[in-house]
Amino acid sequence: MVELALRTHCPYCAYQCGIRMSDAAEAILGDPHFPVNNGQLCIKGWSAGALLRHPQRLTTPLVRDSRKDDFRPADWDEALDRIADAMRRTREQYGPDANAMFGSGALTNEKVYLLGKFARLALGTANIDYNGRYCMSSAAGGNNRAFGVDRGMPFPVNDIGEAELIVLIGSNCADTLPPIMQWFQKQKANGGRVIVIDPRRTSTARSADLHLQTTPGTDLALANGLLYLAIELDLLNREYITTRTNGFDAVRATVLNDHPARTERITGVGEPLLRQAIKWMSAAKSCMFLTGRGAEQHSKGVDTVNAWTNLALALGLPGKPQSGYGTLTGQGNGQGGREHGQKADQLPGYRLIENPDHREAMAKFWGVPAESLPRKGKSAYELIDALGESPGTAVPGLSPIRTLFVMGSNLVVASPDVNRTVARLKATDFLAVADSFLNETSQIADVVLPVYQWAEENGTMTNFEGRVIRRRQTALAPTGVRGDLDILRELADRLGCGDKFAFNSAREVFDEFRRATAGGTADYSGITYEKIEANEGVFWPCPAEDHPGTPRLFADRFFHPDGKAKFLPVEHRPAGDTPDAAFPYLFTTGRYKEHYNSGVQTRQVGELTKAKPGPLLQVHPTLARRHGIAGGNLVTLESRRGRAEFRVDVTPDIRPDTLFAPFHWGGREGANLLIGGFLDPVSRMPEFKLAAVRVVSVSKSAP
Amino acid sequence: MKKKLAIIGNGMAAGRLLDELFRRNAGTQFDISVFGEERHGCYNRILLGRVLAGGTADEIMLKATGWYADRAVTYHSNKLVTKIDSVRRRLTDSAGEEHAYDVAVIATGSAPSVPPMEGLRGADGKPKPGAFLFRTIDDCSRMRDFAKPPCSAVVLGGGLLGLEAAKALSDMGLHVTVVHRADWLMNLQVDRFGGEIVRRGIEKLGIFVRTGQTATGVIGDDRVHGVALKTGEVIPADMLVIAAGIRPRVDLAQASNIPVKHGIVVNDLLATAVPGVYSVGECAEHNGLVYGIVPPIWEQCDVVADVLTGANPAARYRGSKQYTKLKVAGVDVASMGLIDPQQESDEVLQVMEDRRGIYRKMVVRDSKLVGAICVGDGESAPSLARWFDRGDELPPNRLDILCSGDISTSAADREICNCHHVTESCLVGAIKDGCTSLPMLSEATKAGTGCGSCRGQLTNLIMKHAKATSA
Repeated sequence: MVELALRTHCPYCAYQCGIRMSDAAEAILGDPHFPVNNGQLCIKGWSAGALLRHPQRLTTPLVRDSRKDDFRPADWDEALDRIADAMRRTREQYGPDANAMFGSGALTNEKVYLLGKFARLALGTANIDYNGRYCMSSAAGGNNRAFGVDRGMPFPVNDIGEAELIVLIGSNCADTLPPIMQWFQKQKANGGRVIVIDPRRTSTARSADLHLQTTPGTDLALANGLLYLAIELDLLNREYITTRTNGFDAVRATVLNDHPARTERITGVGEPLLRQAIKWMSAAKSCMFLTGRGAEQHSKGVDTVNAWTNLALALGLPGKPQSGYGTLTGQGNGQGGREHGQKADQLPGYRLIENPDHREAMAKFWGVPAESLPRKGKSAYELIDALGESPGTAVPGLSPIRTLFVMGSNLVVASPDVNRTVARLKATDFLAVADSFLNETSQIADVVLPVYQWAEENGTMTNFEGRVIRRRQTALAPTGVRGDLDILRELADRLGCGDKFAFNSAREVFDEFRRATAGGTADYSGITYEKIEANEGVFWPCPAEDHPGTPRLFADRFFHPDGKAKFLPVEHRPAGDTPDAAFPYLFTTGRYKEHYNSGVQTRQVGELTKAKPGPLLQVHPTLARRHGIAGGNLVTLESRRGRAEFRVDVTPDIRPDTLFAPFHWGGREGANLLIGGFLDPVSRMPEFKLAAVRVVSVSKSAP
Repeated sequence: MKKKLAIIGNGMAAGRLLDELFRRNAGTQFDISVFGEERHGCYNRILLGRVLAGGTADEIMLKATGWYADRAVTYHSNKLVTKIDSVRRRLTDSAGEEHAYDVAVIATGSAPSVPPMEGLRGADGKPKPGAFLFRTIDDCSRMRDFAKPPCSAVVLGGGLLGLEAAKALSDMGLHVTVVHRADWLMNLQVDRFGGEIVRRGIEKLGIFVRTGQTATGVIGDDRVHGVALKTGEVIPADMLVIAAGIRPRVDLAQASNIPVKHGIVVNDLLATAVPGVYSVGECAEHNGLVYGIVPPIWEQCDVVADVLTGANPAARYRGSKQYTKLKVAGVDVASMGLIDPQQESDEVLQVMEDRRGIYRKMVVRDSKLVGAICVGDGESAPSLARWFDRGDELPPNRLDILCSGDISTSAADREICNCHHVTESCLVGAIKDGCTSLPMLSEATKAGTGCGSCRGQLTNLIMKHAKATSA
């Protein structure tokens, strides 16, 4: 008999609100005892129960004998055999790297760890990556370069309530992490101020004290321009720069070029506002810079993050109470998901797969020779681009990826250049997807495995603060559904290395996983399920069982070997996709409060689809008038890659040179149809937040 | 075998070119050498005012001398190149030494334009003690050493550079007079009315301004005692600062038979007619234009780096739209494109707020913005720059663009509380009916009782509308 818990965490974003299940499993309440959300939930959270006994829920594996056939139900043995056979066949014919795994920021730490171990040990492939590459990889890259560690926020969320000034760069957290606003309200009540930097006047921007409505893709130039003014007005913290950092001189020389005239022209923000912003930043006793995807999802995302870490360091913020730089991670386990080995360049504990010491440590732990561990593989979009043989992509001497297993990610909606992504997925020899609902990606698959949902299994997540929390089983899964851990064990068995995957529960995986992280940067070795229960979560690093965890980083030292933080000279550069006469407008994407990521879950919930049935394209009245567009019209946009169609909302909340639509939908309203695969050179993050588009047609048809 | 790339000049254009080259890994293709006639590394000349105001050279240094060695760039400081032998591919410097090159980029920039003035120079041919140019770090330190109250100074030139020098000298406590040949200040950036507002700002600082005046001579045998004007009047002065514009430095090109008109003539690849010789920056003339501001010159460096390294052989420079933005004596000045209409069909809009000292002007051609001036207003320049840069068709009511910016802060009725679908107008109504605290407002409308994320917006609405009601 399974013992069901009453408390767990929301299935969606990185805020991971504590929730309470009432007797009727559909009714969900906020958990007043979890100190992050204190009982508050957003509309997604309190309607999440609808997912559990949903009529569209998959309850049996689906297979088909060819992609022309329809799916037919199958038993688990047949489905798993087919996947294992495809993996074995692929490896024999094309070598181990022709198999690939694609993971997700929604998976628990246990699954992330096991998925990475499966790829490296059971498949021996270098090619494993995940949708977190699309999420906060640029912030991760920037954090590592500046501070030598990547924990999204170096302080707990309640510090927000105490900060005198908060600068939100490309984050609409009132819609994307709604319950976080309680801390901003507290901050406001304490007399604090908020600056929001966003091309749109979002709900977050409307509640700010100052809104800088930047041109998309110019957050880097803005930060450099502010640093220029900080130097000119002599607002630097010179003692901090000397004692706690390296590399300021190179940055100073770089930003000498960022005169306000240049900053204004690039960013569209006037000099008076720039001056006001930098004065507030330097005068505040405590000041936080928090970036979101708006600043990070660019082909210069890492440099953008570092422009802001530079400014933070120049003002002496990181390590000071209620101050410093942080990123507002998006996906449920976006933090843990990037630490434990489902990323192409990573091994558990935030170890690097190309670092000989790190390889040695993990090989020894797993009991395999270090040289048997694969090297660094392809990043998410590059992995997709390497799927299947095609004249367009085949690099001579490089064998493509033939077989792909996707766990918890809807690649077709979430990836850039959707037309290309779909073509690549269709070019695979074999595609398997594990998910709870059919989605745009599994429609292409050969085998679909129905899996447990959030409330039906145990595990741990690491929220956006770096707080490790417990997902607890609060509901029974329908008959016929199995867990991801179970699937990995079964596949490993069939591939002949079941002994390394013989786990019967999440807790067993966790006990191996936490030991695996010992000595790594993200050290979880002192964290236990009991300790999490007793403390409402434990912050990593936590290197010993008697260690209390580390809520706040950087008070005394940074994580580079000499303990100092690094300035990185970075300069504005044009986006990969730039407007010209043929494609004159900027298109940018974002989220609705009512939907989550690619919408696989939220588009199944009646209450959410009723509130937001589809995407609306924001069009400024000036632009609307030029093209004869009225509210409610259907507009077709075209980029250099594809077309998409949206219903229009004419609003002055957007810039006159910019169009906005959320990306939660597939089909013709897929925002990512327009987006190109331009990657950041460091993080390999695609340039999601920007595409050059034109208006192709306007149809007056009634909605 | 790497090719030898010689960069002649070490000003801002040369510095930028080096950055662009290294961004394209040019170090693997070229042995790069730089010839600079100053002893410093490369510095930001635009910020010279800081040095004049007492700052150190380090504060404006872009590349200290160590930078070059770190990147295996040979830096010849204190070396003036006097001749290019483009057949033998040899440069000759002022010491008579020869240097081999494969490709040369002339980035010699510009020199102060010195008007003909009787008695300016002493017997040695140099400006007399008390007379200064305003162009280099060394000029600034010499001026600073000389300028001690109660000196009086005449600044020749009422453009950007002259006004900056005047302000710095005035801040040191000197009596300063600006003598400017045109009828109004900053005549390259603004029209007469704009110049008038700038003048008021300058005069407010205690600086005297004489426009429409030509200086003809320097009074004083061994040092400056005064400046003679064409009218016959003499302004007594201990110091004369010449900041009357710049001219491209083309002497090297001329001596080397490289075609020169006003500047060194280059095509869309920034190539001169002489194979192997390119030119960028204030010394280069492209399509009849010589640029004296930073952004066009950076665009040139971008293209020439693409072309020389082969990173993008198709890169071409097509000319730049000019945009200047600065603060003169506390007055914001933005200027882009045309100052005045040029064609009969050009449309002009002007809004003058004489007493507030705010002036806005735009020049419209074929419904597109081709020029604008903003004086005394720092807010609307960025959105005007956007219309200017993008060339979007303007809306029928151009005043909206000129005066209110166009990124509006107000909007039609919108939903504030998404959880309970409460709109702004409903909330404002409730506030006006007396719900002047958050609990009261939430009680009456249910807004803010769902996820609570809109409470910040509710508070802002209460603050805005409750005040208005009680007032």
